[in-house]
Amino acid sequence: MTRGYHDIGGNPAGPVPKDELPWLHWEKQVEAVRNLLGDGTRRVISLDEMRRGFESFGIDKYASLSFYRRRLEAMIDILIEKEVITREELDEEIAAVRARWTNVS
Amino acid sequence: MKARFRAGDRVRVLHLGKPGHVRTPFYVRGKVGTVSELCGYYLNPEDLAVGNTGGPVIPLYRVSFRQNDLWSDYRGPAHDTLSIEIYDHWLAPE
Amino acid sequence: MSDLHGHEHSHEHSHDHAHAAHPPLVAEDEAGNIEGQIIIDALQNILVRKNLLAPEEVTQEIEKIESPGLHLGAKIIARAWVDPAFKQRLLENGKSAAAELGIKVGEAQLIVVENTQGLHNLICCTLCSCYPRSILGQPPSWYISKAYRARAVREPRQILSEFGLDLPDDVELIVHDSNADMRYLVLPERPAGTEGWNEEQLAALVSRDSMIGVAKVTMA
Repeated sequence: MTRGYHDIGGNPAGPVPKDELPWLHWEKQVEAVRNLLGDGTRRVISLDEMRRGFESFGIDKYASLSFYRRRLEAMIDILIEKEVITREELDEEIAAVRARWTNVS
Repeated sequence: MKARFRAGDRVRVLHLGKPGHVRTPFYVRGKVGTVSELCGYYLNPEDLAVGNTGGPVIPLYRVSFRQNDLWSDYRGPAHDTLSIEIYDHWLAPE
Repeated sequence: MSDLHGHEHSHEHSHDHAHAAHPPLVAEDEAGNIEGQIIIDALQNILVRKNLLAPEEVTQEIEKIESPGLHLGAKIIARAWVDPAFKQRLLENGKSAAAELGIKVGEAQLIVVENTQGLHNLICCTLCSCYPRSILGQPPSWYISKAYRARAVREPRQILSEFGLDLPDDVELIVHDSNADMRYLVLPERPAGTEGWNEEQLAALVSRDSMIGVAKVTMA
């Protein structure tokens, strides 16, 4: 039986959490980048491909990451799969950005 | 692909056993409902998820299920229903 | 130091990753948010260098996705309440009727479902988070929570009660799982006592939650 870990309709769950989380800048940036990469001039990653991304990166990541972090990680996985970027160049750039963050304070 | 169903048709959702990205949730598979409308023709998300954008478009329907038919423990009156979109190839006539 | 995926920093949710129990809502803490910002900035930098993105267009796209919201949905609802012919067109083709008001629906189609005295509609997306974003903006956290996604299709009346809406049994309830190309908006019942009100006054009454179906529109 093929049932994805994301396919949770009907599963038992507790009360609906009512706290409304703010929509942060980095989260908007994730959506914006995905929208642009998926637009008619680029078609580099579609919504469907992104969904396949978070449906296949494993149940632990799916269960433990926040909503927008899941989308970000899914987008990265698909971009690497399609050879738009490599894991190495992303890791390198992340280290560079992180260094700038820590130097700012 | 021609639409095989129309509003009012009784349909059963198939267990296609398809790996990868599908948009037919587990909870309706094998269940019987009634087509309420043909939404239109759209590219198959199962293909789009792997970058196949060439088509063909396939019919998409809204299908209505009685909640009591979906859940043996449904807590609510018999007239409650659930409406969901199902692509043509997931359906068989009932 | 924490790895790229931030699993080492403190989480506010339980670390129990048993498959049967997903945490109801995973919220990033400050370290997680910084991590998210670092990673998306890094990704964006690379994409800009590869000429796949221009930095200004990301800013522009952010503005675009920030701009829809409650006000657009409320405008549609208020017009439907005062103009029966518009309402008919709205129920037949939501995208086209919204366009009459200058509102562009970005999704494939908008299906507007009408609440009446005898019928109540509730919208959800069990598989992910499909929502009419081009009209209403981002969905609320609870809509994308695993608890709502899992339970809305199976225990809708109990969910409504958690939101303070107790639906009598003689009211039919339809739950719409927006799992494919359609997006849904609930046309809530117009509250009594608003006869003669203009569209602006009516629009001010409409809440986001009433357009998802977890609330009714009241005068309060």
